[in-house]
Amino acid sequence: MDLYKLSFNNIRRRKLRSSLTMLGIIIGAAMLMALLGVTAGLTTAIQDETNAYMYDVAVTPAAGTGSYLMDNQTVSQIRNRSDLYDFREVTMFSEDVNGTQLYVEGVNNWKDVKVINGTQGVVISQATVEKLGYDIGSKITVKGQELTVTGITKEAQAPYIYVNQSTVRQMADNKVSAIYAQTNGDPKTVADDVEKQVTGVSAETKSEKVNEIQEMTGQALLFMGIIASIALLVGIISVINTMLISVMERTKELGVLKAIGFTNWEIKGSILFESGLLGFLGGFIGVVLGLIGIVVIANLLDLAEYIPGMMPLWLILGVIFGSTLLSILAGLYPAIRASKLNVVEALRNE
Amino acid sequence: MNKQVLEFKNVWKTYHMGDGLVNALAGLDLSLDEGSFTAVMGPSGSGKSTFLHVAGILDEPTMGVFRINGKETINLSMKEQARLRRNEIGFIFQRFNLLSQLTSLENVMLPMINKDLEKAKEILDKMGLEDKHHKRPTQLSGGELQRVAIARALINDPSIILADEPTGELDTANADSIMKILQDLNHNNGVSIVVVTHNPASASFADEIIHMSDGKIVNMDSK
Repeated sequence: MDLYKLSFNNIRRRKLRSSLTMLGIIIGAAMLMALLGVTAGLTTAIQDETNAYMYDVAVTPAAGTGSYLMDNQTVSQIRNRSDLYDFREVTMFSEDVNGTQLYVEGVNNWKDVKVINGTQGVVISQATVEKLGYDIGSKITVKGQELTVTGITKEAQAPYIYVNQSTVRQMADNKVSAIYAQTNGDPKTVADDVEKQVTGVSAETKSEKVNEIQEMTGQALLFMGIIASIALLVGIISVINTMLISVMERTKELGVLKAIGFTNWEIKGSILFESGLLGFLGGFIGVVLGLIGIVVIANLLDLAEYIPGMMPLWLILGVIFGSTLLSILAGLYPAIRASKLNVVEALRNE
Repeated sequence: MNKQVLEFKNVWKTYHMGDGLVNALAGLDLSLDEGSFTAVMGPSGSGKSTFLHVAGILDEPTMGVFRINGKETINLSMKEQARLRRNEIGFIFQRFNLLSQLTSLENVMLPMINKDLEKAKEILDKMGLEDKHHKRPTQLSGGELQRVAIARALINDPSIILADEPTGELDTANADSIMKILQDLNHNNGVSIVVVTHNPASASFADEIIHMSDGKIVNMDSK
């Protein structure tokens, strides 16, 4: 029997109090795990999507032009530049169908559109099915051209219809919404040159876009982290309270331990071990509950495919390590008080 | 000349009480030889407990010199004092002070430096507690509790045992039994023993009885 086993015994002996103290840590750790996990997973997913979608430079109509499409002459000007290559164009416009805005988007790579029902070709979003009543086989007339729906996708929450880019461009009088391209030189310099030399366009580099998105997701992550950390902090404060009460209740016991030869450091160590153990167990259980929460939230939000990304090892270990470390720090003051107890007075304590 | 286990030279211990000062020990001079068995008696407030606390390095003298086995404790760090308590002193308290959540065996092993289960069992057996190894304090009688406390005090083979009213909570038969154990330890193992007691019957087991009053020794009887 040593002091560390004695600390473990103390937690077991005071089951209700230990459980209530741990409950605070468990709630904090579970919230931290679930909120940060879901946000981190979504951040990774968004970044992956962005990386896959973006080229070095994205050229779009400038905000002040009043148009969301670039004409053929502008497109040619961009395509003829020697500092740009590997072009990809996207055309997108909206059409009023029975009083509802239906967005028509050109598709270059059908892998980007996850068809859940039917086949590629003319694919509508679930929202189109729900709001406009279309289904596979339905005929939709856009810009005078009749399209027969071949599939349904879960992409987009709004009514969308995805068709081959060449078809959509043709429908939009050969106009283009955005051109993505690789650059030979520094993307930022090339983007600046494009803006200067081509009238009415705005050019952004991939890094700018990614930075913007990363900044936004980073802020979301920070915000979620702060909220969950407050919950964990409340749990940790209860560790200070519990350990202080424990030290007060065990004044005589601590006096006896000192009298029979335990050093102040050993006494301090046993209190810190006890508080650290509360933090570790609370953190561990909290993480397990948080992971369960992630699975539930991801399924509720229809994001099950991102679940692995929502459970990064750094977060799991970080929450457990953080709970343990913070609990040890919370035990510091009670431990110092315990080690400074006057033995004679402690032995008189009943 | 015998080796001295405890030495008090003009030791004072002064406490603040209200606006005034109280001398719990007032210039105490005392030397106890290795292997001695001493009882300390005196009325409440005579300084017996303070004497025992200073002897056990639980409290420091305000003035004067105190040595245990030749070591002056005032020069030792807190850690060294704790080590000295663990290695060379065995404490026995009036109210046993066993840890209620631990069994007899675990209580005995708690201060053990080199954890030796067999040695702990052997000491408990010698105390007549063969069948009480795994009993918790709440399952033991007063006499049994004090015998577990003696076993705990002996576990690191101390050179001195300091007992504060060890029979104060016991009936006459158990009190005599505990004092007999201490007497045997002194006679057979050569362990120095200091017992603070109010009970003349308990004190009679000692070879030397010191009477204290107002923080001073007023009388010493030897057998």
